[in-house]
Amino acid sequence: MIEIMSAESKPLPIIEVINLRKKYGLIQALKGISFSIGKGEIVGFLGPNGAGKSTTLRILSGLIPADSGEAKVCGVDLAEEEGEVRKHIGYLAENNPLPEDLRVIEYLNFRARLKGLQGSRKRERIRIALDICDLERKVSERKIGNLSKGFRQRVGIADALLAEPRLVILDEPTIGLDPRQSAIIRKMMERLRGEVSFLLSSHILSEVEACCDRMIILSHGQIVAEGTLLELQRKFVNKTLFEIVARGNRIDLQKVVRLVDPSCELIQDDPVEVSGKRRFVFSTEKGEALAEKVLKTLLSEEAFSLSEFQVSRPDLETIFLRATKKNWEEQDFIGRRNRRIRMESKTKGIDINS
Amino acid sequence: MRGYWVILRTELFGLFISPSTYVASFYFLALLGIGFRFFIESFMSSNWILPPLSSLVLGLIFGAPALIPFLTMRSFAEERRLGTLETLLSAPVNTSALVWGKWSASFLFFVLIACGAFCFPLLLWSWFPAQAQSLGFDHFEHWVGGGLFLLIFGASFTSVGIFASSITKNQMVAGMLTFTLLTLYIAVMAFSYGESSDSHLMEGPADLIRSCLGSLDDGLDKLQHFAVGVIDIGTILHQMIILLFFLSLATIQIERIKH
Repeated sequence: MIEIMSAESKPLPIIEVINLRKKYGLIQALKGISFSIGKGEIVGFLGPNGAGKSTTLRILSGLIPADSGEAKVCGVDLAEEEGEVRKHIGYLAENNPLPEDLRVIEYLNFRARLKGLQGSRKRERIRIALDICDLERKVSERKIGNLSKGFRQRVGIADALLAEPRLVILDEPTIGLDPRQSAIIRKMMERLRGEVSFLLSSHILSEVEACCDRMIILSHGQIVAEGTLLELQRKFVNKTLFEIVARGNRIDLQKVVRLVDPSCELIQDDPVEVSGKRRFVFSTEKGEALAEKVLKTLLSEEAFSLSEFQVSRPDLETIFLRATKKNWEEQDFIGRRNRRIRMESKTKGIDINS
Repeated sequence: MRGYWVILRTELFGLFISPSTYVASFYFLALLGIGFRFFIESFMSSNWILPPLSSLVLGLIFGAPALIPFLTMRSFAEERRLGTLETLLSAPVNTSALVWGKWSASFLFFVLIACGAFCFPLLLWSWFPAQAQSLGFDHFEHWVGGGLFLLIFGASFTSVGIFASSITKNQMVAGMLTFTLLTLYIAVMAFSYGESSDSHLMEGPADLIRSCLGSLDDGLDKLQHFAVGVIDIGTILHQMIILLFFLSLATIQIERIKH
């Protein structure tokens, strides 16, 4: 049994990663990333393709070793006690490969035995996993090869949950699923919130936004942003947006809004179909506190006949693009500089490797 | 060897539900049975010096290149093609347990087929006891020697198949590679048949090389000993070395895929 409390009874993080590095040939997939995940947290791992998300998840699930750095799961070093740590991790691989010719129940039986479950405990855990993943009896008797993608994904998650893991690693769990199936998987995570820690990678930002406590954004093997949605919003796009649907022209409206906050900027002005009204989007750095004042002022002006007023913060997509943009530019600059150096060395006849 | 028994059980189950295994086993046993029948019929008039049971052993050894690929080609190649190897390795299971578990399942199935083949002389004995006695079926040592010879060669041959399956994602390529390697092995044994000397003295580098080749050089010659119940430890050891060599290569290959 792995002890996850320190000497001062302070809970240790479920995952603690320090300066993790991994290289595939000449490509540096991970450039020394460090992060930690607490007990019961749901953390989203985001990043563009090739950012190093899957590599990190594969290292943490004990599938591949890191070149250097430290990765501890439940306080135990992965490099030293890989087998022991794997007992406490549930892992859903990208694309969720499953044997086609086994029935769901046969597959889960096999996986449970492989994870050291036996007898009544095995049966009980399989029943619970099937229940959590909404795989009723009829489905569990079907061959995996005949299941739809959504059901297959749920079988993979049921497998990940079999051995009462403390940490579940899900690599793209909702890729290719319809909104209903994605919602079922989100519901499953919600059900286990607080009991099990989840680390999931996904490209579907709205989904991460909806179910994750915290996000880690990776780009070119480096962590470029980390925190809750609110923290990331403050850090990357510290602006509040007011969406106003009203009648009247932009100059008059802008004038009124600027009476309340002179720094308010009109960033969008679109007509609303049929109604003859327009949709205006203002941006301010002064936060949501200003909203009430703006709304009161607009309501007092009857000429605008205000029909909608909405306060919003920038979504995760905007944050993601902002967070990765700087890193992309840096990498682009390094790439161009290296190419220039190579070209110059070639024309001067210098061996760059020497 | 964490997970060995679970892997073995599942692999055996996989072999039992695979139609290709049944088709291959049926044709193999049918051909072997027909061959055995004709051999027994013409045994008295032939100048075959070994006990008739050894013909069955030879049939199984020479037929192995056609049978073993059906038992081993799926093991790793299919896992790699589907990507399930990654899922398998994410569970608390050792790579060596995985390799040995898959090999054990293929080997046990081979033993099962060999047992099926040994049913032919048993049936003959139960139906025609007098003829069976005249053919020497009542000599227990012939059964043990022949069976042991089959077991050790079956063990090393299936390890070749497991190795071939670990290096490719394509079942057919794995099967063809196993067939080629085993055919080569048997061809070398067949061509060097009768050339080995019984002298234990090494008279030159050629003798040293031949002694290193072990049963690859004199495997069929040693069948003469096994067939009459004389167990040759050297041959057993040599086959064990081949078994360990190919299973180690398969383990290294799986570890390499992981990295």
